[in-house]
Amino acid sequence: MPTISINRDLLFNALGKSYSEEEFDELCFKFGIELDEVTSDKLIILKEQGTERSVGASEEIIYKIDIPANRYDLLCLEGLVQGLQVFLGETEFPPFKLIPSQKVPQRLIVKSSTSSIRPYAVAAVLRNICFDQHTFNSFIDLQDKLHQNLCRKRSLVAIGTHDLDTVQGPFYYEALPPDSIKFQPLNQTKEFTASQLMDLYATDSHLRHYLPIIKDSPVYPVIKDSNGVVLSMPPIINGEHSKITLNTKNVFIECTATDLTKASIVLDTLVCMFSRYCQDQFTVEICEIETPQGGIKNYPILKTRQEKIDVNKINKMVGINEEADKVADLLTRMCLTATVAENGCLSVTIPPTRHDIIHACDVYEDVAIAFGYNNIEKTLPSTNTIASQFPLNKLTDQLREQLAQAGFTEALTFSLCSKEDISDKLRKPLSSIPAVHVSNPKTLEFQVARSTLLPGLLKTIAANRKLPLPLKFFEVSDVVLKDNQRDVGARNCRKLCIVYYNKSPGFELVHGLLDRLMQLLEIPLDPTGTTGYSLKSCDDATFFPGRCAHVVFEGVTVGVLGVLHPEVVTSFDLNLPCSALELNVEPFL
Amino acid sequence: MAIAHGEKLLKYLEENGKANSLKLSELWNEDHQKIVGTVKSLLCLGDVIEAELHSTVKWDLTEEGKQVAAHGSHEAQIYNAIPPSGSTQPEIMAQASIPNASFTKDMAKVGFSKAMSLGWIAVDKSSGAPKFIQKVSSIQDVVQEHLKDLATGKNTLTNELRTEVVKSYEMKPGSSFSTSVTKQETDLTPEMIASGSWKTKEFKAYNLNALGTPVPRGHLHPLMKVRAEFRQIFLEMGFTEMPTNNYVESSFWNFDALFQPQQHPARDAHDTFFLADPATASDIPTDYMERVKNVHSHGGYGSQGYGYDWKVEEAQKNLLRTHTTAVSARMLYALAQGGFKPAKYFSIDRVFRNETLDATHLAEFHQIEGVIADYGLTLGNLIGVLYEFFRKLGIEKLRFKPAYNPYTEPSMEIFSYHPGLKKWVEIGNSGIFRPEMLLPMGLPEDVSVLAWGLSLERPTMIKYGYDNIRDLVGPKVNMQMVADNPLCRLDKHRGTEIKEPEYLQELDIRMDSIMTRLRGIENEVNKLKKQGKGSQEKLTLVIEADPNYPPLSVQTLIRILMASRNVPVSVTIHQHSSLKKACSTDLMQWAKSTTSNLNRIDNLFNLTWIWKSIGPRPAAKVVNHCNGDICGEAAVARLLARLLESWTDCAFYENYDLNTTAEIDDWLDMWESCIQSGDPTFVVLANRINNRLNSSDGRKWLIGSFPGTKSLADVFLSTLLGHKLNSDRAKEWLSRCNSF
Repeated sequence: MPTISINRDLLFNALGKSYSEEEFDELCFKFGIELDEVTSDKLIILKEQGTERSVGASEEIIYKIDIPANRYDLLCLEGLVQGLQVFLGETEFPPFKLIPSQKVPQRLIVKSSTSSIRPYAVAAVLRNICFDQHTFNSFIDLQDKLHQNLCRKRSLVAIGTHDLDTVQGPFYYEALPPDSIKFQPLNQTKEFTASQLMDLYATDSHLRHYLPIIKDSPVYPVIKDSNGVVLSMPPIINGEHSKITLNTKNVFIECTATDLTKASIVLDTLVCMFSRYCQDQFTVEICEIETPQGGIKNYPILKTRQEKIDVNKINKMVGINEEADKVADLLTRMCLTATVAENGCLSVTIPPTRHDIIHACDVYEDVAIAFGYNNIEKTLPSTNTIASQFPLNKLTDQLREQLAQAGFTEALTFSLCSKEDISDKLRKPLSSIPAVHVSNPKTLEFQVARSTLLPGLLKTIAANRKLPLPLKFFEVSDVVLKDNQRDVGARNCRKLCIVYYNKSPGFELVHGLLDRLMQLLEIPLDPTGTTGYSLKSCDDATFFPGRCAHVVFEGVTVGVLGVLHPEVVTSFDLNLPCSALELNVEPFL
Repeated sequence: MAIAHGEKLLKYLEENGKANSLKLSELWNEDHQKIVGTVKSLLCLGDVIEAELHSTVKWDLTEEGKQVAAHGSHEAQIYNAIPPSGSTQPEIMAQASIPNASFTKDMAKVGFSKAMSLGWIAVDKSSGAPKFIQKVSSIQDVVQEHLKDLATGKNTLTNELRTEVVKSYEMKPGSSFSTSVTKQETDLTPEMIASGSWKTKEFKAYNLNALGTPVPRGHLHPLMKVRAEFRQIFLEMGFTEMPTNNYVESSFWNFDALFQPQQHPARDAHDTFFLADPATASDIPTDYMERVKNVHSHGGYGSQGYGYDWKVEEAQKNLLRTHTTAVSARMLYALAQGGFKPAKYFSIDRVFRNETLDATHLAEFHQIEGVIADYGLTLGNLIGVLYEFFRKLGIEKLRFKPAYNPYTEPSMEIFSYHPGLKKWVEIGNSGIFRPEMLLPMGLPEDVSVLAWGLSLERPTMIKYGYDNIRDLVGPKVNMQMVADNPLCRLDKHRGTEIKEPEYLQELDIRMDSIMTRLRGIENEVNKLKKQGKGSQEKLTLVIEADPNYPPLSVQTLIRILMASRNVPVSVTIHQHSSLKKACSTDLMQWAKSTTSNLNRIDNLFNLTWIWKSIGPRPAAKVVNHCNGDICGEAAVARLLARLLESWTDCAFYENYDLNTTAEIDDWLDMWESCIQSGDPTFVVLANRINNRLNSSDGRKWLIGSFPGTKSLADVFLSTLLGHKLNSDRAKEWLSRCNSF
């Protein structure tokens, strides 16, 4: 969920009203955003860098507000204020207008060389815009917020904004070998080649994260004007030459992308938020995009969609009973201007700022929000069903109850562990274990899904050595095993594991508990091993030779018990004998 | 040994009738501790002897004290060290340095100053180098005498002592006294039962004040106990448990089936554990996958879709499921294939997130999920079910916040009020599954699916007061904690749980009573308004007040009322026969000047004011209105404020929002409680008003945030307490109030 930082006084000034913190919090809650933190530059610096650095920092109050991930239209002060004011019924949602260029339209020519790296580009022009310091900052901040969220850290879309009066169209978007790109990047005093820039920015705390997007490509994307001036090298950096300033009057916006839909959304959002500062408010000048195939498409799309929505369906879905005109009012407050149409329908206008509305259900939700979630009458569904437990869980719970009654205490350990936990430490080669391997573990603790419950219980003993002996622990839980019979190639297996740790091994105790479990499950002891259960001596590297047996149930091995091998004991930092039983629960279902 | 001594002691007791352990120790020349041991062992025999413990404080000399007792006090030694001819300080100090000297340098320093101040010695500077000489011919060393006394047992107090507490027993024969000691049996044995010897034996009494021996026992894990409770709740509500025993899931079921786009940040390796082996899934139902692909890339089912290039490779990537909703998706798909029937499902099982770990976040946790699928379900249904669900957990106060989730629309975050933390905390997420998720599965179009989820760990941590999740889950858990953990009763609030401070409860009660009153008042006003309209807003009011306690605020409000209204108003003022003394002209005419028309029928507002001996609480009555009197200055003021609002449509009291009205009420209540609690000086209240007005925001009025809002509270309190306020701000405020 993105968080935006807004200067409180600027916000209240723009809203035309002051709120107490509680009042504003309440308003946010109703609107579906969250006042996350109230702070100031000074407090932030104080917290992060200490008292000394904070001296002289601004003490103006900053509101940090959490915005739902799909509401790109609320990511800047302009959008937030517009959203809230419309929500409060204080203003109407503005109509956005596309206007043709008064002379030759700006054109961005996309070359086919970009197809291998970043194939799409769109563009627009904001004419006669008037920035002040705050709106300028907001313009930059919004690009950053979009880059971080919708643009997926510039991998899907990268935005470049330029002072149109410093460059000369038409513009060319192409992909060139790094060494043939040379320009003076933003905030640098000399020219660099693209390869040099990669080195330059390798240590840049901000830009280095974007380098991998193109670094290994044989060609890098670049936008130039008709004189060969580099506007930008997306998605890394713009050129110094066309940099926008407070005095910029005409802004050329280009978005390059690997996802055309998102590029268009980003462009729409940017121009909708800032066209209010144009001399001709809420107008955007069209640009032509020439595709490698030679076709021409106009951008921004800035499409306003009309949807017919059945009021009945809205009422039914939300669980309210409102007249059509009331529902239309509610929607209008959510920036979805609606009018009552024929046949109990509403005609709902979905503006280019609301790309999150992709289905009627999104409209239903906005009705519910405007109505107030907490004003909806609570009712119980009439759904009549008979409940049942998942049989394996039911048996598990019954067995757990019995194990606790037998004096063992339940541990709860992690399903993920290190490779070593299930192999070396248990004296078994990893290759012999059908374990599921994680491809991106952040630490050793998350390398594999456990294939046995034993390591977790032994770690639990290690952490509890100070408790009086004997230590008697159990766990009944799932392990994960590879299984090519399943669609995903793996399955869970419900295991029961008990450990007994004392000055003497206590094999007979663990054995006795197994007998007790079999008694509870009504399974007779049958030394022939065909009908009931039996123990068969076996070799298992985890256990002490000659002190280990398989549990055989109806001819199939379902578990193992024995005295742990001393090397296993010591590899878990233990020093006393330990007996264990691990049993597959599923055959007893 | 003890027993031998015991018999000796018992004999002594028989002969002497009583004994003291200290004295016996002297008498028998035996270590006192041994005697005490004997007494204790005799005490175990039952009522053979009675013994009472005495503590006596004994004085004993420290090493320094012993020295003083032997050689004299430091000052005396210095005195004695000075020869008649006198001596220099270094000379005397040199004596202190001699091995085995009776005093040390430190002592000598003390001795010099002490001897000087006692006037025993003096400094003689007549012959060049300063010399110490004896000033008096003889001295009496009291300190030494006292210490000598103490050493021999005489008790004369000084500071040179260390105290020693000596415990001794004062004994006398008990109720079953005998001089022969029989050893008591500790417990019944099989032999005693066989031989019948238990009949003649005496048995040692049990110490019932000690704790019993811990019972060897096993325990269930706290988190699993909470899980059992949640499971029970779902089962009570008719939900069927889903088979969630598949941690490994494909991206398809975990994300794509839920209409979560392939570029969604949750699908980043930063957030999800992907698998190296087995890396991919097969056997995704082909038709269904095609429908999912279409709805993602092109839309359909009334949706615009996400408009991107959906890739099957992305869907095939295996992962550790990030939510149990992946299982819900499989269940709903299966439900659609078998011919839809309404269903209620739940699960509580592990999910995995490759997130940053901290005190409350682990890479794996348990998710609780509930799902209801039926025709025509509404958001109101979801809210209703959630209230019932959380009510079973003992949570009654809920509220819902709009939220975003890729697979539910509408989506609601569930908040509950946490009385301990004094704030609303998020406790779960909920919503209605998107049609883009349900329709490709083949579910009928008019079927809705409600769902909600929460973590198991969080409520457990809150329930049992854990602040680090590693104390609850994982191999590092202290198993003693598991043993000591109480029953899980989620609807009961006890024990370690963060409790609601009492004052908060009080505040709650107070708020409730204010709200009840507000509602009552609202009804009154509505009635009044209706009545007013029905009879051309005519209103006749009788106010009774005591001339000894003139209700200044009521008078002010009546003046404001009359001034605000260009309509005929009549005020008549009477005095009641209960008054001992006639009212002054001022009192009788305070509102005369604005009286306009005495013909009551034409007037919209007729006020009859009666001075009466009724004490400090004035009373108002609306004529032709059967409700009882409105008593007390604040209550009458409220009534008039409401009248003012209904006539002028200004915001003054209840025309503000509920919070502001409550704030106004609060000020009036403070004034009332001053009256009732006998703080007639209103010092506290006056201070509060001063503080409020002096607050740094530079407010102009008492109520609301800067700059505040003028209200009944301002008029009321400025009239009544204005003369008690003296700050500049307060004066400005008063003049502002006066010009109302």
